[in-house]
Amino acid sequence: MEEEERRNEAHEKKKEEKAFKQRIWSWGAGTDGQLSTGTLQDHILPQLLHHPSLSSAAISSLACGGAHVIALTSAGKVLTWGRGNSGQLGQGELTNHVLYPKPVTSLDSFFITHVSAGWSHSGFVSDNGCLFTCGDGSFGQLGHGDYISHCSPLKVSYFVNRLVAQIACGMRHSLVLLKDSSMNQVYGFGFGKRGQLGISKEKLKSVNIPEVLSGFEDKEIVEIAANGDHSAAVSVDGHLYTWGRGFKGCSDAHSPQLLNSSLSFTKATLGWNHALALTGEGEGFMVGGNHLGVLTDPKNLNPAKQPSENLRETNMEKVPGLDGIKISDIAAGAEHSALVTENREIKTWGWGEHGQLGLGDTSDQMSPHTVSLGCELNETESIRIFCGSGFTFALTMHSNPSQH
Amino acid sequence: MSYDDVEIEDMEWNEELQAYTYPCPCGDLFQITKEDLKLGEEIARCPSCSLYITVIYNAEDFLADQNSKQNHQPPKQQQAVTVA
Repeated sequence: MEEEERRNEAHEKKKEEKAFKQRIWSWGAGTDGQLSTGTLQDHILPQLLHHPSLSSAAISSLACGGAHVIALTSAGKVLTWGRGNSGQLGQGELTNHVLYPKPVTSLDSFFITHVSAGWSHSGFVSDNGCLFTCGDGSFGQLGHGDYISHCSPLKVSYFVNRLVAQIACGMRHSLVLLKDSSMNQVYGFGFGKRGQLGISKEKLKSVNIPEVLSGFEDKEIVEIAANGDHSAAVSVDGHLYTWGRGFKGCSDAHSPQLLNSSLSFTKATLGWNHALALTGEGEGFMVGGNHLGVLTDPKNLNPAKQPSENLRETNMEKVPGLDGIKISDIAAGAEHSALVTENREIKTWGWGEHGQLGLGDTSDQMSPHTVSLGCELNETESIRIFCGSGFTFALTMHSNPSQH
Repeated sequence: MSYDDVEIEDMEWNEELQAYTYPCPCGDLFQITKEDLKLGEEIARCPSCSLYITVIYNAEDFLADQNSKQNHQPPKQQQAVTVA
């Protein structure tokens, strides 16, 4: 009898695993437990994660910040782990390191559809368009009208009668995209010295209440991105806008600048000195950096100031070494980059000191190199890739067109 | 090679570390103490990796502390005297 029960249990468990059948790997800097491997160690090769909290819920997306991670489940629940000393984990207490995924229970009554992780703050958007933020607020990046940090997600009252679609958290600033408005779609708050808020031509230090960006009046923005002191937006017709800290010697831009290109972009992701953009044709392009940011190319460290318009175009380079293979996903860490090809291969390049490239060493790479996950991927599996400052996560799931 | 130039006003004072800090791309923090600044040090290092930044600051701002202890008037007060 007992044996039968046990067998049933095992059967149930197997069924459960089959139902989700997703796998998550992490690698790179682990100094704050952000890899969810249960240690504070770096890993130079992908680690397949086994923690029950990850296998018992269907993870639909991840957001990786300075040293913390937010996982979103398909049931609208949120798990966080890693560094929590500014309250960025939203678990109601300040903690140095959380080694394993832990639920953000204060959001349990909401169905969360979108999350973002900044350097030390976090943002959550619910299906009914509410925005919640927590973590470091010392630059106004939480948008609550003050400079206070919070260790539990707090609703941003400024947007209480609006429908928020997305939040993008950078190093010390945040961008918000609304879904109910064609006139005032994108807002910025937090640190603004490098122009990353896009709200003023004047040099301003910081803003603690959301302010609307100008320049998108007759455009429909579908995606926003923020990292370091950079900001970006992609419009429905494939235009890419960047603002904030200038790339590779360009001057800072205090309002959204259209990238002069005939390409049609679908996604943009930002590092601390570079941007990666994906076209509808599955081609990847890099703005700024020099294949891996400024780290290994000294001649880019002290570039002469040049007119930004010229550089903005010439700065863009196609991601090399792919021989026409299409790209299905891209991600940028502070100083590294990752992509997934249509053949379900993960490739990484850039800064490798903490093993964030997952190539088994700590070398830098100038062009994309294939990461071995240590197992074959099923044809029905799709992979997505996510980068934190100095670490990387890969998430596989069964291809399902309805789930993005 | 310095990763970046950062103004002291953009760094944060960290009570626990007793140092001015700035985010490092590895996930840790570049750090420099007040003592370092008084000595004219301008390199803030990250304890977890090989990167460092150059801190832009006015050395007098940090010497002022020390000087006032030695009954030496900091520049601001001197200015007040001349105005009066």
